[in-house]
Amino acid sequence: MNVKVVVGLVVVVLGIAIGAVNFLESNVEYMDFATAERSNKRAQVKGVWVREQPTSFDAEQVKFTFYMKDDSDRTVKVVLEGAKPNNFEIAESIVAKGRFVDGEFHATEILTKCPSKYDGDAEAVKKSL
Amino acid sequence: MLLGQIGALIVKLAFLAALAAAFCYYQVHRTGTTRWLTFGRGGYHLATLSLMTASAIFLYLILTHQFQYTYIWNYSSTDLPLSLLISTFYAGQEGSFMLWALFTSLIGVFLMQYASENDYEPHVMSIYSLILGFLLLMLVVKNPFAFIWEAFPNDLIRTGPVPAGVTNYFVLDAAKSVWARYPVEGKGLNPLLQNYWMVIHPPILFIGFSAMAVPYAHAIAGLMKRDYNSWIRVATPWLVFGAMVLGTGIILGGYWAYETLGWGGFWGWDPVENSSLVPWLLSVASIHTTLTQRKSGAFVKTNFVLSILTFLTVLYSTFLTRSGVLGDTSVHSFVDPGMWVYWLLLACIALFGTIAFGLLFFRIREMPKVPVEHSFVSREFALFLGAFALSFMALFVAIGTSSPIITTILKGKASAVEIMYYVRTNLPLGIAVTLLSGLGQLLWWRHSKAGSLLKSLMWPTILSVILTGLILLMGWEEIEILLFAFCSAFSLFANIQVGYGIYRGNPKFVGGSIAHIGIAVMCLGFITSERYDDKATVTLEKNKPVTALGYTMTYTGYRPLERDRFAFDIEVVRGDVKKKVAPSMHFSEQSTLRHPDLINFLSKDFYVSPVSVEQAAGPKEETLTLQKGEERPVGGFNVKFREFDFNAFERGAMLEGRNFVINVNLDILEGKKKSALTLTMTNSGEGPVFTPVSYTAANGSVYEFNLVRILPDREDRSKSRVELSIKMPNDPTAPQRDETLVVEASIKPMINLVWVGTVTLIVGFALTILRRAEETRQHAKKWQRE
Repeated sequence: MNVKVVVGLVVVVLGIAIGAVNFLESNVEYMDFATAERSNKRAQVKGVWVREQPTSFDAEQVKFTFYMKDDSDRTVKVVLEGAKPNNFEIAESIVAKGRFVDGEFHATEILTKCPSKYDGDAEAVKKSL
Repeated sequence: MLLGQIGALIVKLAFLAALAAAFCYYQVHRTGTTRWLTFGRGGYHLATLSLMTASAIFLYLILTHQFQYTYIWNYSSTDLPLSLLISTFYAGQEGSFMLWALFTSLIGVFLMQYASENDYEPHVMSIYSLILGFLLLMLVVKNPFAFIWEAFPNDLIRTGPVPAGVTNYFVLDAAKSVWARYPVEGKGLNPLLQNYWMVIHPPILFIGFSAMAVPYAHAIAGLMKRDYNSWIRVATPWLVFGAMVLGTGIILGGYWAYETLGWGGFWGWDPVENSSLVPWLLSVASIHTTLTQRKSGAFVKTNFVLSILTFLTVLYSTFLTRSGVLGDTSVHSFVDPGMWVYWLLLACIALFGTIAFGLLFFRIREMPKVPVEHSFVSREFALFLGAFALSFMALFVAIGTSSPIITTILKGKASAVEIMYYVRTNLPLGIAVTLLSGLGQLLWWRHSKAGSLLKSLMWPTILSVILTGLILLMGWEEIEILLFAFCSAFSLFANIQVGYGIYRGNPKFVGGSIAHIGIAVMCLGFITSERYDDKATVTLEKNKPVTALGYTMTYTGYRPLERDRFAFDIEVVRGDVKKKVAPSMHFSEQSTLRHPDLINFLSKDFYVSPVSVEQAAGPKEETLTLQKGEERPVGGFNVKFREFDFNAFERGAMLEGRNFVINVNLDILEGKKKSALTLTMTNSGEGPVFTPVSYTAANGSVYEFNLVRILPDREDRSKSRVELSIKMPNDPTAPQRDETLVVEASIKPMINLVWVGTVTLIVGFALTILRRAEETRQHAKKWQRE
């Protein structure tokens, strides 16, 4: 085989390997609070905000604290590094990315999944009649 | 017939006309006779005219607020200013497909003329009409003119005579007396989209998307004609045009995110951004490999593959962002558009992929094999490596963005990759690309002599070492970032050197160098503004100056802007410079949106994003909602709502319209002590009046109770609730403060380089288009003379 072809193949294989490793590493796994606490790994937890429990915002440290119930019905205190995320109140479910620290879930990022306010539903039509 | 029904019918007509045009043009190619040509052209023009008419109708319906159309009700409202009202045309799924189709059809009118001059009309136009047909099929399936009573038939259609006083109705079938009501106000445009970027960014992106169909159509035409070389010359101006427009659209989107959406930076590796970056990277790779083929005849197959993939990734990107597959893994949450769009988009990718790769497969054996004659130190090899690295970037970005799909298949649960993935995979490739974009320009075609190469390397190398040194003075960074800075600087200086030489020879040929300079400057801007930025979260109590990052900020209060938006005025002082920023927040009942503000200095941006606003902290107040019999803890005791006291006498007074009183009886349970508390609501002609009642706890602190409102349940009285407010005792140890604004302030050094680089890049692209279009024109003239 030609030297160029060999070098080319090595580069391609190496590139794919680097890509694959990074892909797997940066794919944070979904789990529930119990699994996340046990594994002590960075995790994504899906759940809903518990409205009845207090929420607070610490302006000095810029931390937003609230309670979240995961899909296995466990409620945990979540501390987000940052302010209340956009669309937090209307989100029908939220995804918190982070890890457990002393029984609290310390999130670095919160994704909000919103019911499509900007898409139609019959109730909304009736309201605007 | 209603205007919308006419519109929907015209869209169907356009769809059929586009298919007919594709068929007729194909017949010209197959039979070789020009008999079908008139029909092909006529069909295409009919499709374009119909689509233009349908779009005009659609725009008219939007401008006249016809909310009986689901789409218009969904995305617009009467309070929007004209420019935003027009932009609701493409605020949703159906409308944006319509805009895309419209641009595609209009570009096709120019393409037809252009292709006929270059002897490519039947082939290019047959495939191009087919693409237009598929875009129109989307509109046939997802009708933008759907009526609101079609979308919600059970709720909105009534039979029988229209009651008096109902004005906004529509009689659907007079004979059966079936009528529907329709809204007089729409839901309005998403506040995130309500700014001028919404007016310019999407159209530019869609022109880019439309233009990317042209190189694809030429590649297929080349395969159909068994012409493996000259299609490239014909397609190049369009390829560069597509890359220029799409690139501009991407950067504008980045600027939108930076300036208005408050993402903090101009690039968040969000699926929406990524998915248009992939075709752009491939188109840029394609520009470089086609250049090599024109010079040496190599890369015949590569060029077919790249042109095809550029278009397929445009379709794939639409699929990713429009079909709902990314689900809740993206910050942009996309509405599930229904199975139809999902499968249609997949079918579209499959069809155009099969046509292209199938044809390529059948033709591949007869393609000319050009032996590789160039050495490792040649421009061809540098171009090859550069294009290779760009394609790999596109691949990594595409894989990262598709992560939710890949992980669903592998693990059964969708999850997105983190931003780190994109940085780690693209940074090494970025280093390679910038280095090659400088080195390639210094190399000769076929082979470079060591002596002349070293001589030309000297100045760029020296200057980029100096520049990297200057960046190092700003602080140490990862070695990869420094390497990236060095290579970007090298590309900048090498291209200035080469560009100057070319400019003295023939100014028309300088486009390539200028585009490279633009990219290099942009990369330097990325590094300084993203890696050497400084951030601080600052708590600003009203009228109390706070110094952070060398700037003294004073929050002076807020003022209302239009539609639930509030601007927060902050005075910024540094030395003698005194400026103002006013980041704003949008409070709607459902959510809070934050918009940053910035001061643009020559060497940096001072960027302020609002985080939250805290009311003045006096005695704390809590509110409670209690149902009958319910008990809740507050402070050191429990509050129980026993019952309403609303006796017959008061009820009679209410019915007769006189003043009446409702008592709310509470029990306070503190330890073993139980005390009763009665709150009253007195209803007079001017609305209810509440009387506060104090409660002194065992430790001596005083709590003030008051009613906020009574929430009666008419069906089940026992479910009636009351809302209470309880003012907590004054705690002298708690901090007292005025209204406070929390902001995140940051400094983005040299961010202007990004914008300067962008403009330079666009100029470079534009010059290249002019040069290549001129070449093609010369060629066409020669061909027509023969």
